[in-house]
Amino acid sequence: MTLGERRNVLKGLLFISPWILGFLAFNLYPLVASIWFSLCDYSVLSQPVFLGAQNYVDLWRDPVFWKALRNTVLFAVVAIPLSTLLSIGLAILLNQPIAGQGIYRTIFFLPSLVPAISLAILWQWMLNGPMGLVNSLLRPPLQAINALFGSHLQAPDWLNDPNFALWGLILTGLWGTGQAVVIYLAGLQEVPIELYEAAELDGTNSWQRFLHITLPMLSPVIFFNVLMSIIGALQTFAVPYILTGGGDGPGRSLLFLATYIYQNAFDYWNMGYASALALCLFVLIIGLSLITVHYGEKKVHYSGR
Amino acid sequence: MAKVLIENLYKIYPAEKGRPEKIAVDNANFEIQDREFMVLVGPSGCGKTTTLRMVAGLEEITRGSIYLDGKKINEVPPKDRDIAMVFQNYALYPHMPVYRNMAFGLELRGVPKDEIRRRVDSAAKILGLLEPDNLLERKPKALSGGQRQRVALGRAIVRKPKAFLFDEPLSNLDAKMRVETRTEISKLHRQLDSTMIYVTHDQTEAMTMADRIVVMRYGKIQQIAAPLELYHRPANLFVAGFIGSPPMNLLQGTLEAAPNGTLEFVEKVTSPHLPFRGVLSTDTSRKLSSRQGKEVILGFRPEQLHPNATSSNPTLQGILEVVEPMGAETYLYLKTGAHSCICRTTETDLGLKEGSKINLGVDLSRAVFFDPKTEETILT
Amino acid sequence: MKPTHSSFPWFSRLALILLGVLFLLPFFWMVSTSLKPLNETMKLPLEWLPTSPQWHNYPDAMKAMGPFWLYARNSLFLAFLNVVGTVFSSALVAYGFSRLDWRGRDTCFFVLLATMMIPFPVVMVPIYGLFRALGWIGTFQPLWVPAFLAGAFNVFLLRQFFLSIPKDLSEAARIDGCSEFRIFWQIILPLAKPALLTVALFQFMATWNDFLGPLIFLAREEQYTLALGLQALQGTISGTPWHHLMAASTLVLLPVLVLFFLTQRTFIRGIATTGLK
Repeated sequence: MTLGERRNVLKGLLFISPWILGFLAFNLYPLVASIWFSLCDYSVLSQPVFLGAQNYVDLWRDPVFWKALRNTVLFAVVAIPLSTLLSIGLAILLNQPIAGQGIYRTIFFLPSLVPAISLAILWQWMLNGPMGLVNSLLRPPLQAINALFGSHLQAPDWLNDPNFALWGLILTGLWGTGQAVVIYLAGLQEVPIELYEAAELDGTNSWQRFLHITLPMLSPVIFFNVLMSIIGALQTFAVPYILTGGGDGPGRSLLFLATYIYQNAFDYWNMGYASALALCLFVLIIGLSLITVHYGEKKVHYSGR
Repeated sequence: MAKVLIENLYKIYPAEKGRPEKIAVDNANFEIQDREFMVLVGPSGCGKTTTLRMVAGLEEITRGSIYLDGKKINEVPPKDRDIAMVFQNYALYPHMPVYRNMAFGLELRGVPKDEIRRRVDSAAKILGLLEPDNLLERKPKALSGGQRQRVALGRAIVRKPKAFLFDEPLSNLDAKMRVETRTEISKLHRQLDSTMIYVTHDQTEAMTMADRIVVMRYGKIQQIAAPLELYHRPANLFVAGFIGSPPMNLLQGTLEAAPNGTLEFVEKVTSPHLPFRGVLSTDTSRKLSSRQGKEVILGFRPEQLHPNATSSNPTLQGILEVVEPMGAETYLYLKTGAHSCICRTTETDLGLKEGSKINLGVDLSRAVFFDPKTEETILT
Repeated sequence: MKPTHSSFPWFSRLALILLGVLFLLPFFWMVSTSLKPLNETMKLPLEWLPTSPQWHNYPDAMKAMGPFWLYARNSLFLAFLNVVGTVFSSALVAYGFSRLDWRGRDTCFFVLLATMMIPFPVVMVPIYGLFRALGWIGTFQPLWVPAFLAGAFNVFLLRQFFLSIPKDLSEAARIDGCSEFRIFWQIILPLAKPALLTVALFQFMATWNDFLGPLIFLAREEQYTLALGLQALQGTISGTPWHHLMAASTLVLLPVLVLFFLTQRTFIRGIATTGLK
């Protein structure tokens, strides 16, 4: 390197030095330390004691871990497609030439601003079994169905029923999907209008236009959003934690990996085990992201890049 | 007093993934005299802008040296070089009003407030930024392209630098504004009486503004000369083709012995078409005697072709393809046996029909000869 | 923007109105409940509106939460420091990644992008240990000091914006006599105001909404943020005074909404660009 080049590198490093410090302290060190702690008995209060792979053996035999893993993956696998479909649908509806587009956009966006604490308490109330608004709205149609078919469908006691708690959380999540709507809408508006006009002249119908123009042009945005959603969904903690009043739901139906890490670390002070869990979560995130990238990249259409 | 000396200057971009090493400036050597208006010209990618940016200090020098007034400035940061630069896209600070844009550099140098005010006002007056509208408090966004260009000039002027650097400052203006600003910059040069280095790809700008021109190509300097010198005595085929519009006519052929010890140029033709033949003057013949029987390229300017063939000039025969009346003059495009030629004449009412066969007289007194292999000029 | 005209304009219109109502309903329910007397919250079938709005529910809820204004002050204090720290440090780092050319830059930037894949729960145990070793547990420091070390996402956002500013400007400034820091401070930052505002807004929201951080790092009640105070209310009171919980939730949400409506354009544009770039 010449003198000037060295000076440039120095200048660059000086400017990014805050990040370098942050990276070392809050990314690199914790990852390395986690690996070490996960091999130890560690309670923060005393020095870590080396255990070998014991934590991982325990983890393998721990049914609660498997429950948390199952819930986490299930939540991601169900909630992400649903919210993606909903937000693309809303964005397409919004992208019509309608009066009040901005107002509708605001309406759909607002819920995503609600702080986790308010959101969770509100939905705890919304999903209340006997008194909740959701069930009050569900009952009339259910009664009509029961009357018609002689069935015995009942509105669930969402958060107190192990079979429905996760769905309650998903419903809560769907309400807060507005950020994605804004992003998809912006993506739709970036699609050059000439493309649609050309396609219309070619005699396509609106479904074909959606399939052959909208979707490919939107695919990079969808890809990016799905990737971010995966990372977000896998670290879910606050909303289910508050929804269950600081717990993990009936039959641990709202126990997620992040919750279990929290419990082990700060309820049981079992930091070693928590670190092992944390590394599992990390591997899960990397794994699912890589799978998405692997299958996504091929399908994504990057125009002009 | 500002003299710029450029010595064995190289700019080499090292090889990177998928891209080989690139020599952007290849051993440039020249000197810019005090108060000289020097234009660097050439096609895009020829290294002219890189050279200018090295003088400005915006680009690192790979090898060689640049001296300003005898002081080597290779390692001097741009702010301490005492130069000012006018950028292609004006580079005005969008968030500052015009006054502040011009004053900023002075503020940073700690010039007293009233001195700044004085200098900005006088520059604004010269550039017409006060009349008819006072533009000093406007933001650049509220200015037209031409006005922005003036502010950019003003920012340079107030600094009273040792040298002005211009990086294609007219290329974003429309044709009319370009011509106007061109004369204005020439006027400024006389007024300010300072050294200017000007980069452009437009040979007209170079010809009209420069005291001297540096023609570059592929990072190498082709020729350094005054405009008319370049025009009449290009150093090689590239310069001959690049300078002048329409470009120089070039005919391939051989030099053959003619009576009285003179030489005759005979056009090389492929079709059954009469080749152009032109007997050279005794003087020229003597200078070219070593080339007898050898291939050469003959070059002559479009205005050296005359629509009225007279007996004193050799005749070029061809098919008239297109007639372009330009107003004051007319361009005739014709096809000879193997070549295309352009004639530029001030006669406007020629009554010639496109597609017809015509005879043009060639004035060989200013003809140029090139070596077809080296493309260098043999004789001008 | 008028892309395809739908074949069923009335259908999309109806769908929009229905969905719009559905999305607004929880807000409506929250406010409506917050203004009901306790017995009305427990009445079936539901009453859409309180018979007479109980405005005193709000001061009552604040009282039930304990030192409400102290919590609010803590939240604001943290939000302020986080905004200042993030905006400044992220801008500085983004400058280094966009306006300077240096060897190794792209590699570093790739690492930065990769760190976005490390969520807080993965690293919180060692970070807790780190802050504990520093004696910071039970203080505010863990909740604002990291903000001064730039956030990957904000750096990414600002970098995109900085890249769109012409390079000429920096060069003109350099010739005018600016140092690198002055170019950053006097040329680039003023031009990046919209992007900086976006980052500031995002960061404000993030800090205001943060739950896990305060939950882990704060120990004493007088340090609680509003989020923690509200959670404590949810946990401590016997029975379920939903009218108070809804009133308190509304109060925590309110500043966010106000801020959003004041800065709607910047906000929406900011969100839109985060997904597109």
